[in-house]
Amino acid sequence: MCANRAVFALCVLAAHAQAQVCPPGDATFPDGDWPSRPVQGKAAEVAALEKYAFEISGGLYGRQGLHTNAVVVIHRGVLVYEKYARGFGPSNRHLSWSVAKSISSALVGVAVERGVVSLDDSICVHLAEYAGQDVCRITVRDTITFGTGLDWAEEYENGKRQTSSVLPLFFGSGHRDQLRHILTHRFAAAPGTQWRYSTADAQLAAAVAKRALTPSLGADPFWPALFDPIGMREVVVEEDALGTPLGGSSFYATPREFAKFGYLFLKGGCWKGRRLLPDGWVAQSATPSAVFVSGAPEGETRPSGYAWWLGRPVPERGVPSRWPDAPEDTYAAQGYWGQRIIVVPSEELVIVRTGDDRQEPLNTNDLVKHVLPVLR
Amino acid sequence: MIRSLALLTLAAAACANPDGQPRTYPDSDLVLAVGNGARMGCSCLFVMNMNEQYCREWVKASPDVAKVTFDVGKKRVEASAFVSWAATARWVDERHGCVLE
Repeated sequence: MCANRAVFALCVLAAHAQAQVCPPGDATFPDGDWPSRPVQGKAAEVAALEKYAFEISGGLYGRQGLHTNAVVVIHRGVLVYEKYARGFGPSNRHLSWSVAKSISSALVGVAVERGVVSLDDSICVHLAEYAGQDVCRITVRDTITFGTGLDWAEEYENGKRQTSSVLPLFFGSGHRDQLRHILTHRFAAAPGTQWRYSTADAQLAAAVAKRALTPSLGADPFWPALFDPIGMREVVVEEDALGTPLGGSSFYATPREFAKFGYLFLKGGCWKGRRLLPDGWVAQSATPSAVFVSGAPEGETRPSGYAWWLGRPVPERGVPSRWPDAPEDTYAAQGYWGQRIIVVPSEELVIVRTGDDRQEPLNTNDLVKHVLPVLR
Repeated sequence: MIRSLALLTLAAAACANPDGQPRTYPDSDLVLAVGNGARMGCSCLFVMNMNEQYCREWVKASPDVAKVTFDVGKKRVEASAFVSWAATARWVDERHGCVLE
């Protein structure tokens, strides 16, 4: 039927249009706040979850053990469990730490969907002040797959502080112009060839998304592009002194709002019948990236897609399921001190956990393991 | 005396390169400590809307040398250490939280 060239072109267009269609919006999307229906008849299971997640060892402000500030569970579009602790409540925003990386990746997706970014673009298409420099070899895809190849040392306060690339970015000589701090690092490998977890990569992703979206959406494009449509009204995106978003670390939202971000992914990038993320974006986010498969260091067992962490195994690298007690399709945005947005498509489940685990962070596997019996 | 000790710490930190890694940064522990105290304190109080007691505990980092001062009226937080090291963060607006100056 599509043999004729003109008809073929129409077929391609029709297929493209079909791929873009979202299911019509339905009652499972929160209109404002989440509909709430607390689980019933699961006292023992809830008690086990709370013993795991909320029992504090080492004192309220201790640095050992788990210190959960909130757990929010969304099941089939309904808030079925929610608990806060340590002075936090539903209206307190919480620091995302590296959960921001998954959000920054999605912001790139929004820009792709709007046709203002291509994953194959050099970052210098959007960060024009760096045009002509060696860093222009980095593509937008590299920034959302931890594949820039920059020689970046992801060390924190308990690591080697004077060789940490992160601490000067946050608190020291790199904080005023974070792009400059990042892009003056040398390459450890050619872009797209080496997987290395990096706050720098996500910062670049957010910077590209902001620059690309600003001409059509104004100086604060993330709100009309993503946060307003999905009802993340209280979200805060901190920036450096030059207005570059701290997209690797410093988004703030309430746990219920973070759950909306997870729910956008659960719903394939659509919200109330409107496509926000490109068709197939969520699937790619939850699939090990090519640079992980080919370029992760030997022994790396934490597969990632578009800056989401994946539970599924990666047989070609001999990587087993990361969270064996969770369904294999589980994927998660994960941040320092135990911040989590966990998406389990096969269970129609989103779990948000905020916390302050300074030494040993919460284990995603164990949290899912304790939440599932509450729902079943 | 305290300043001399701090300078020695700085110098030692600048020279330390135990693994032969290629890049070190000019930021001493004291610079990082006051930067952390100011920025994290500001975000804790004015973005997360937690109370001062919580925020003082939240910003504690190793080495725990930063003295943090909250100015609620001006929405600014200053952190200082050993007289000579200080950093200030200020709240910007509802969308952008705090920035380290």
